[in-house]
Amino acid sequence: MPVKKMKRARLLIVAVLALAASMVLVACGGGGGGLSGSDNSDVTTATGGDPTGSLNISNWPLYIDGQTIKNFQNETGIKTTYTEDVNDNNEFFGKVQPLLSQGDSGGRSIIIVTDWMAQKMYDLGYIQNLDKAKIPTVEKNLIPSLQHPSFDPDRKYSVPWQSGMTGLVVRKDLAPDVKSINDLFDPKYKGKVTMLTEMRDTVPLVMAADGIDPPDATKQDWLDTIDKIKKASDSGQIRRFTGNDYIQDMAKGDVVAAIGWSGDAVQAESDNPNLQYVQPEQGCSLWSDNMLIPVGAPNPAAAYKFMDYVYEPKNQAKITAYVNYVSPVKGVKEILQKQDPDIANNQLIFPSEAYTKNCFNQVSPPGDEADQQEVEQAFQDVVTG
Amino acid sequence: MTSVRRRLVPYGLLAPGLIWLIVFFVIPMYYMGELSLKTGTIETGYQMSWAFSNYTDAISQYSTQFFRAFYYAGVATVLCLLIGYPLAYAIAFKAGRWKNLMLFAVVAPFFTTYLIRTIAWKTILDDSSPAVSVLKTLHLVPQDGRVLATSAAVIAGLTYNFLPFMVLPLFAALERLDRRLLEAGKDLYASATQTFLKVTLPITMPGIVAGVLLTFIPAAGDYVNATFLGGTNQAMIGNVIQSKYLVVRDYSEAAALSFTLMAIILVALIIYIKFAGTGALMGDEEEAE
Repeated sequence: MPVKKMKRARLLIVAVLALAASMVLVACGGGGGGLSGSDNSDVTTATGGDPTGSLNISNWPLYIDGQTIKNFQNETGIKTTYTEDVNDNNEFFGKVQPLLSQGDSGGRSIIIVTDWMAQKMYDLGYIQNLDKAKIPTVEKNLIPSLQHPSFDPDRKYSVPWQSGMTGLVVRKDLAPDVKSINDLFDPKYKGKVTMLTEMRDTVPLVMAADGIDPPDATKQDWLDTIDKIKKASDSGQIRRFTGNDYIQDMAKGDVVAAIGWSGDAVQAESDNPNLQYVQPEQGCSLWSDNMLIPVGAPNPAAAYKFMDYVYEPKNQAKITAYVNYVSPVKGVKEILQKQDPDIANNQLIFPSEAYTKNCFNQVSPPGDEADQQEVEQAFQDVVTG
Repeated sequence: MTSVRRRLVPYGLLAPGLIWLIVFFVIPMYYMGELSLKTGTIETGYQMSWAFSNYTDAISQYSTQFFRAFYYAGVATVLCLLIGYPLAYAIAFKAGRWKNLMLFAVVAPFFTTYLIRTIAWKTILDDSSPAVSVLKTLHLVPQDGRVLATSAAVIAGLTYNFLPFMVLPLFAALERLDRRLLEAGKDLYASATQTFLKVTLPITMPGIVAGVLLTFIPAAGDYVNATFLGGTNQAMIGNVIQSKYLVVRDYSEAAALSFTLMAIILVALIIYIKFAGTGALMGDEEEAE
């Protein structure tokens, strides 16, 4: 080994050791600077007053039509910034959690997340209670089936944005006999079925198909169901776990049956009539995405104004006609009956009671954060198997 | 005065890079290192408990995904080298006036985002695509088989995405090669193969080393290809880390996994450089002497 080289090699080793040493020192100095826990014992109610200044809203992509925000600004004079920065409940939580734990909403006055995440954030003390007197239109027009969800029985802090169903999405031409979640485990469709990476969408449906009532399921039921999914995954029965992208796989015919969302299916069916939502025999999972006012939200009065605005049926009709999910607002169907009867008569957008009679509200695993994390980990170990 | 100023110049030149590294590398590493030894959840907060078990758990529980990541990245790197070397050679020696255009073609995919390029492979490899039909006709894929959502698709995606990182350093090394050495080889009655093995290959070794490092390191930590092109048993360690951070929110174990991945790569790097010679990495041509 030439001298020059040896020097370099030694230098490299010294550098590595120095790095390792600094790590250890750093760890010794630890203690502070970590994430701190919090609880909801001191939840505040967002105060009203007059709306001043601007309003920042964080929502999911493609979840509003092009007109509503402009109309709202024109009618109220409140400058509104609408950002589509929620792609995934978990990811969004990861992004805003460090701010919210400091009582800072990052300038957001309204955020929109799914039921279970709304509850989780509330339990952590990140969400404010609502002053119902400030949102009379919401009080008046919220449909009865969404008035008392288990996670927020009195709608103290959440107002539904849109709702939807998780069930089966099927290629009618390639898998005409898929009617139950159990059919996804039929060897005939080996390698041609997918499930969602969202545990709360996938696991309860599989559970329900096995005759377990998801709201009453124990932690062991969850783990057993996850084990069943794991076996199907290891055997190659399940092709992959997906987000929204199962729709592309189905359009090509690579996948013939999947666990998927009703709104996706409405949009996909207009491109390919063979691609349809099928209500699973043992029922579907019902969920909502909810408007919440986070702690530290500037201008809550403007947030109340916006909630009330989108609960006016004529304003809501524009949103529903565009997003094709289930609308939480009374009187929208009547308006759309005149404007766009196809949408008004679609069972997936205005489901009848009979259509959803076996459905259950989306649930989380029972227990505290540690229990939930254990179940989530078990499921993620299947997804990243 | 001038001598003082002159002495300060190197520090001034170093400062921007040094500050960048401290702020965006050393400090985050510090927090991650600290976090990896803590236990807790977001609800209860994280407490320092010197939980080295985070590391042992991480390694024992996810050894499959670690192994898979290095296996996929290794195969992709070898494929990149096998495809990239002849390509770089052709561009450097045979392309003539097309040289710039061909280099542009190598870099052109970067004009599209990484994600879109990867998703495009879903169309190339889907079950009824022409590419897959050809493979089936050649009996390289069984009649009822598929390519998408298999290991082959993930490796293909990695190879495609990281090929430019292999080609560019190889091209730079080949371009610099003194042609007179090749002539000398010929004059001394070496066959083309001998000249290549005894002259070209050793001289371009720095390019190979750089290309292998630039390809292997990011490929081993990648999770995008496995997410979109892989199926149920193709997750790499990057996928596990991603889900630990963003889905399960077990920050401590995610940090421990990240550190373990870095440590393994670092050790592999040191061994590799020992073999290939530090000189090769630094770009001097001692080997050729």
